[in-house]
Amino acid sequence: MKVAVVGKGGSGKTTTSAIVARTLGRRGLGVVALDCDTNPNLGISLGIGEVETDRLVSMRENLDEGAEQHAPGWNDLISRFGTDGPDGVRLAVVTRIENPEPG
Amino acid sequence: MRVAFVGKGGAGKSAIAGTFARLLARSGRPVLALDSDPMPGLAFSLGLRTSDAAIPEDAVEERAQGETGPRYRLRAGLSGAEAVDRYAREAPDGVRFLQFGKLRGQEPAMMRSQMAFRQIVQDLPEDRWDVVGDLPGGPRQAAFGWAPYARTLLLVVEPMTKSLLTGRRIARLAAGMKSAPAVLAVVNRVREPGDVERVKQATGLEVVGAVPWDEELAEAERRTLAPIDHAPASPAVRAIESLVHELAGESHR
Ligand SMILES: Nc1ncnc2c1ncn2[C@@H]1O[C@H](COP(=O)(O)OP(=O)(O)O)[C@@H](O)[C@H]1O
Ligand SMILES: [Mg+2]
Repeated sequence: MKVAVVGKGGSGKTTTSAIVARTLGRRGLGVVALDCDTNPNLGISLGIGEVETDRLVSMRENLDEGAEQHAPGWNDLISRFGTDGPDGVRLAVVTRIENPEPG
Repeated sequence: MRVAFVGKGGAGKSAIAGTFARLLARSGRPVLALDSDPMPGLAFSLGLRTSDAAIPEDAVEERAQGETGPRYRLRAGLSGAEAVDRYAREAPDGVRFLQFGKLRGQEPAMMRSQMAFRQIVQDLPEDRWDVVGDLPGGPRQAAFGWAPYARTLLLVVEPMTKSLLTGRRIARLAAGMKSAPAVLAVVNRVREPGDVERVKQATGLEVVGAVPWDEELAEAERRTLAPIDHAPASPAVRAIESLVHELAGESHR
């Protein structure tokens, strides 16, 4: 199963995503929660905590920094850059805005 | 005064910005309200029924070969101020309103409007209007130069973890922005006495306004009315009035 949660800002996407992910996790499914927001907050709703959520290194930054020979596959990315959360949900952050536009 | 409202999605930026712009105009200032959210909300809180006030196609040209800059720009000879005079809508209380174009089917039309909008906001005369901007949720636009006019970013924060975290991120990014705007916090949906203090502690920012949780604002939205038209004496509108007074006294804002 692959679902994406969309909607207006503040309408409850992150909270809904987190509850769905943890519910599936509790039923024994292997769940990956992908935070695709450039302002990633999913970790908080999953219960990973504020400090850890803010520290999560995004996948793209890692890719940009590393001199990768081949584009790594999905499983590789998730295992390298994801974080384990409650109910066996693995969280990965796709991108994050770190710096203002230089020019 | 030149301010832009920033914060997490759903924090209350549009509701507060629209009310703020109307109240500022009532105090006698010429006000230009700018919505750069592709999911626009400012028109409604200003009291306009339409949410579509994009810059028309014929005001925008594709850049010629060899010319530097983004693909589209304002028609040659058209200044930012002239574009506002021509294309900004008139909202109640004399507020002028300009929007950067909403997400529709046709991507190219939107890009044209947005590139032109970006040029207009970079080219506003210093003192002709007080400017009130409404930005989309999150740090993206503030960080990428969509509010170059803003001397002050008004960060709308709820006393909630995700809202506070978003607020801290935006404040951090603002510190590195070229235009180096001041960042002040406006606490929204205040429900209990400790809420304002919580925001102060968590963001380290000066708090210039505190807007209480107000069912009238939600009701205004259900009825598609501007908060200031639906409930002008409600506690939230009153609090926004105090915010206007607080900021209007300081010319450098
Ligand atoms: N202080 C408040 N009390 C009650 N409802 C509020 C308050 N502030 C905002 N709202 C409501 O919350 C919803 C989201 O606000 P909106 O201004 O659209 O957020 P944003 O522009 O930051 O995404 C709207 O329905 C608005 O009327
Ligand atoms: Mg809005």
